[in-house]
Amino acid sequence: MLALDAVTFGYGSKPTYDFTMEAVAGEVTAIRGASGSGKSTLLDLIAGFLEPASGTIRIDGNTVNHLPPEQRPVSILFQSETLFEHLTAARNVALGLPHPDPARVAAALAELNLGDLGNQRAATLSGGQKQRVALARTLLRDKPVLLLDEPFSALDDETRAATRTLVQSLTRKQKWATVLVTHHADDIGAIADRVYRLESGRLETL
Amino acid sequence: MLRFSAIALAALLAFGHPAGAEDKPTLTVYTYDSFAAEWGPGPALKSGFEATCGCTVTYVSAEDAISALRRVQLEGATTKADAVVGLDTFIAGDARATGLFAPHGIDTSGLSFPWTDPDFVPFDYGYFAFVYNKEKTPNPPASFEDLIKLPASFKIVVMDPRSSTPGLGLVVWIKDAYGDRAAEIWSGLKPHILTMSRGWSEGYGLFLKGEADMALSYTTSPAYHALAENDTRYAAATFSEGHIAQVEVSGILKSSPNQDLARSFLAYMASPEGQKAIPQTNWMYPVIDLGAELPEAFGTPPTKQLPVDEATVTANRNAWIEEALAAIR
Amino acid sequence: MPRSASRVIPPRPLRLAGGAAIAVAIALLIGTTFWSILSAATGQPTAGSSTDIGYLIYITTLQAALSTVFSLIVGVALAWALNRLRFPGRTLVIGLFASAIVTPGIIVAFGLLAVWGRSGWLGGLGVPVFGLGGVVAAHIILDAAFAARILLARLDAIPEARLKTGQSLALSPWTRFANIDWPAIRGTLPGLAAIIFLLAFTSFPIVLLLGGGPAVQTLEVAIYAAARLDFDLVMAVKLALIQIALCSAIILASSALAPISTSLDRPAEPRWRDAGAAHVLQWLVLALALFGFAAPLLAVLADGFRGLGDVLTDRGFWGAALTSVLVGAASALLALVLGLLIAAARAATTSRVARVAIGAPAYAYLAVPAVALALGAFLFVRNLGVTPDAAAPLIVVIANALLSLPFVMAALAPLFEAIAQSRGRLIRSLGLGGVRQFTAIEWPLLARDVGLVLALSFCFSLGDLGVIALFDTQDFVTLPLLMVRALGAYRTNDAATIAALMLLLTIGAFITLPALFERLSRART
Repeated sequence: MLALDAVTFGYGSKPTYDFTMEAVAGEVTAIRGASGSGKSTLLDLIAGFLEPASGTIRIDGNTVNHLPPEQRPVSILFQSETLFEHLTAARNVALGLPHPDPARVAAALAELNLGDLGNQRAATLSGGQKQRVALARTLLRDKPVLLLDEPFSALDDETRAATRTLVQSLTRKQKWATVLVTHHADDIGAIADRVYRLESGRLETL
Repeated sequence: MLRFSAIALAALLAFGHPAGAEDKPTLTVYTYDSFAAEWGPGPALKSGFEATCGCTVTYVSAEDAISALRRVQLEGATTKADAVVGLDTFIAGDARATGLFAPHGIDTSGLSFPWTDPDFVPFDYGYFAFVYNKEKTPNPPASFEDLIKLPASFKIVVMDPRSSTPGLGLVVWIKDAYGDRAAEIWSGLKPHILTMSRGWSEGYGLFLKGEADMALSYTTSPAYHALAENDTRYAAATFSEGHIAQVEVSGILKSSPNQDLARSFLAYMASPEGQKAIPQTNWMYPVIDLGAELPEAFGTPPTKQLPVDEATVTANRNAWIEEALAAIR
Repeated sequence: MPRSASRVIPPRPLRLAGGAAIAVAIALLIGTTFWSILSAATGQPTAGSSTDIGYLIYITTLQAALSTVFSLIVGVALAWALNRLRFPGRTLVIGLFASAIVTPGIIVAFGLLAVWGRSGWLGGLGVPVFGLGGVVAAHIILDAAFAARILLARLDAIPEARLKTGQSLALSPWTRFANIDWPAIRGTLPGLAAIIFLLAFTSFPIVLLLGGGPAVQTLEVAIYAAARLDFDLVMAVKLALIQIALCSAIILASSALAPISTSLDRPAEPRWRDAGAAHVLQWLVLALALFGFAAPLLAVLADGFRGLGDVLTDRGFWGAALTSVLVGAASALLALVLGLLIAAARAATTSRVARVAIGAPAYAYLAVPAVALALGAFLFVRNLGVTPDAAAPLIVVIANALLSLPFVMAALAPLFEAIAQSRGRLIRSLGLGGVRQFTAIEWPLLARDVGLVLALSFCFSLGDLGVIALFDTQDFVTLPLLMVRALGAYRTNDAATIAALMLLLTIGAFITLPALFERLSRART
């Protein structure tokens, strides 16, 4: 469970943003907003790449404000640049574990229907396959919070639908608190359990 | 493996004493490369001396004698050199001024000309001249001014006066013959100079390869080709200005732990046995009278010889070199 | 929306410390060598030197400027020709030109003499080999080929869409060049010009061999002459400081320019031939360039093989060959390690000051004259009472490593930067430590280029003359020194053979090392 309590951030004297929100385990929480409204800033704050001016961020009851990104129990899926292109799918997935474990890597790949793509270089995979590899990695990491920064934008409609369904089923199964940032209405309509709208630097429930 | 022997050698010389009765002392001689080469006088002198000295002679070659001197200067106290062979009377003053050389203490009364220098011992002498190929150049220039008047396609090779004794010799020669007009002569030579090589071997080699029509060398160089190679195509051009003589000398280093050995070697070089080996390997005149032992092909010294005062040369060497180099830039 | 950049890049204090330590070490090295020269120079009577500093700066700059201008012109023409033409063996030809940068200068100089000298293959044409013409020609041969390879990569990278547009508009060859090719290469030219200028400015073996005397020198040759011929250490220091000042200015000015990508990708497939006269001109350019570049090298090989027996039976040759290979390997490894540490450290910080402070010493060799470094080191060990012969191997290895460090950096640093910048957040969110980042992510990306980097460093070391010429050691002999000595002792045939064997060794290393690492890196992934 992820909770933000009056987390402020901004440049200059008055904070530009003031975030208060909750994301429940096993649910997909969507953040909707126009381009440039601050969605990526929100994710950066949760992940630890930005330090809030005030407020607390709690994950499973623990305040994580002081933790650097390496130590936050958070997984991230970016829109692009989410894999290391020169490594194979299997190697990318293996990065989700502190120590190499081929068996678990293979299992994760199989779960995401990537069984025979393990030895293929990430650069040669399709957009949808790349996101699935990233999800396999996330599966291995199994952190309580999953942040998605417009992960389906580069995919065609069919792949997009399949991938977001995958996200939803994994979220339910692994009890992740998934925060999905997107400006596409159909993503929200399809899988979101809870929706926030980001406007004028604040989050409003819908 | 090679590096270890270098360190061992250095250690040996640094301590100065042979490690055991069976280790012979090594005499390290810095000299110019054509002296130490297999076809030069080095090997014969080495085997002749080693037969009686109970030592080993090692040559260290530099492109030319002045380079050898600079090397000793640069190496300072860590130098392995015991003696420097191949300097000449033009650079002797400079060498003396470095304070690195010890008095030779050798009796020079047996030489064919009077010798008063206490620090350096002569071992041969020659006359500078430009050497040409008779077949390629049937009408060689007979003076510097003639040479200058030739078309620019006529190329000569000379040596760098800062590193080479013949190079320095040419500077002295032109200055001696032309005095204040020296810079003018050098400017005239400029279009003809193919290159100014760092050492005599390199330059002479270029000439023999055909890259140039003439090279600065000695009147006795053609004798080498005639006697050793049976090649009579080469001759030395006689210049109407006259020629200057170069007397090659050697010196003992003060820093050497083997000064007595070095002294014996230099004395050997001036002895009848040593002198016999020199003309037909270094192709220069001996400093003692060898009589009939000197081959006829050596010919007679040039009729017109210009006198040179060593003290003047020493005092003005740098200025003259600067003048020459400035003129050809 | 601006982001807090410092949190994007993973924190790597150890890397920063390592890089800083090396930067300090290099700076200390340079400082110590200068201090040794200065302390040896005090107390030297300056009995009027024969060096005209103003003329020296003039001639060094003139020669470098001419070399740069002509190299770029020829390079652009050659890149243009190669971009248009397709023929069997094209990849081989391109590889040949790519290897220009590692071909030892003395070999090119010697080859020029063998082809254009009076007694050479084309001696009858009376082309002057010694002097300014010869020196500039030798530089053009090396640098134009290098420039052509870099520019060709830019031309090959022009997006297909733009080419197709131009083709459908039926642009003439000249319009095409002006509107499509020129914008693609224009950005690279200033950086390329700076590199070529520096290479020509600090040129040593070529100028030493073909300069023809005091009329044509570079500062570096003059430093060598001042130290070894005049024993004028004060002058040596003066000249060294002048060179550092000039070169540093050029490096600083050009560091503001866009970096040159040294990626050597495969060329794009579809092409659009130029018609008629332009096409013929391209073939002409290619033929002339090939001839100009290959003829001297072939002459070296041809002349060299005549005296093969004499050289191969000489024990000294094998000793020198072994020494060269060992020194080359050692300095290549050292350069790689130093380059990796510096590049990794530089990518680990976003502070501009820190980046410059860590990265600048890697380019030390481009600014500090190698001969001055060697002289300082020589004097330093002399003061310690160590014979130069004993210290020479270590100093030569270090100097040679510094020599190739700029190129190692140019090849590897962009990779570290790219990973830190584009995947920094991902690495942090995955919680990867510095070691894992290197073994799992950076090394697989670098492995392919490591082969090229090692080959480059090895070849640079193989052909280096500056340092070892100053030390002039007797028992520690490398192939270039052996060759120059043979030349000096009127054993030009031996010199030719040594040159030929050096060339073969260079080509061999340049081909096999990258291929070897390509194989190794593919096997792992």
